[in-house]
Amino acid sequence: MDINLLFKIAGIGIIVAVLHQILTKAGREDQAMMTTLAGVVIVLTIVIKEISNLFATVRTVFNL
Amino acid sequence: MDIIKIIGIGLIALIIIIILRQYRPEFAIYISLIAGALILLLVMDKFSGIISLLNRLASKTDINNQFLLILLKITGIAFLTEFAVSICKDSGEAAIATKIDIGGKVIIIGRSVPIVSALLE
Repeated sequence: MDINLLFKIAGIGIIVAVLHQILTKAGREDQAMMTTLAGVVIVLTIVIKEISNLFATVRTVFNL
Repeated sequence: MDIIKIIGIGLIALIIIIILRQYRPEFAIYISLIAGALILLLVMDKFSGIISLLNRLASKTDINNQFLLILLKITGIAFLTEFAVSICKDSGEAAIATKIDIGGKVIIIGRSVPIVSALLE
């Protein structure tokens, strides 16, 4: 489970970069911005879920 | 065997960051965050083993169990603050890193007041 999180984020990053390039070349800068924001939001949800998982584990282990 | 997994995650994250840095620089921070979290999660399993050993040893001796709990809390706080500080430094925000560091130190000192007072009496 853990390693494909990295690949998932890398994939999203590359797709967002490519889409941004295509959309800007096609003259639709606003849609390019939307796709970039959507990519960032998706990645952030994954990252925040993983970080909260880490904090919960640390809290249980060190009984903070 | 686990060290190979830790090194593997670190190197894969490094390679992905290098690829992504020229297209979307902000994704480098997300990947370093995720890689750090994954490696720490791997380490946490080892930590729980060590802590149960410490508890068993402390229960044999007549040391007050309260002090060991405080020490564990302090280690946990230091563990998390170090995680946040290194991420902030990595992304170039040294000011925020020092603020988190100061906050962590103050909380640790706050936690260690019972030990200090017990020592002085």
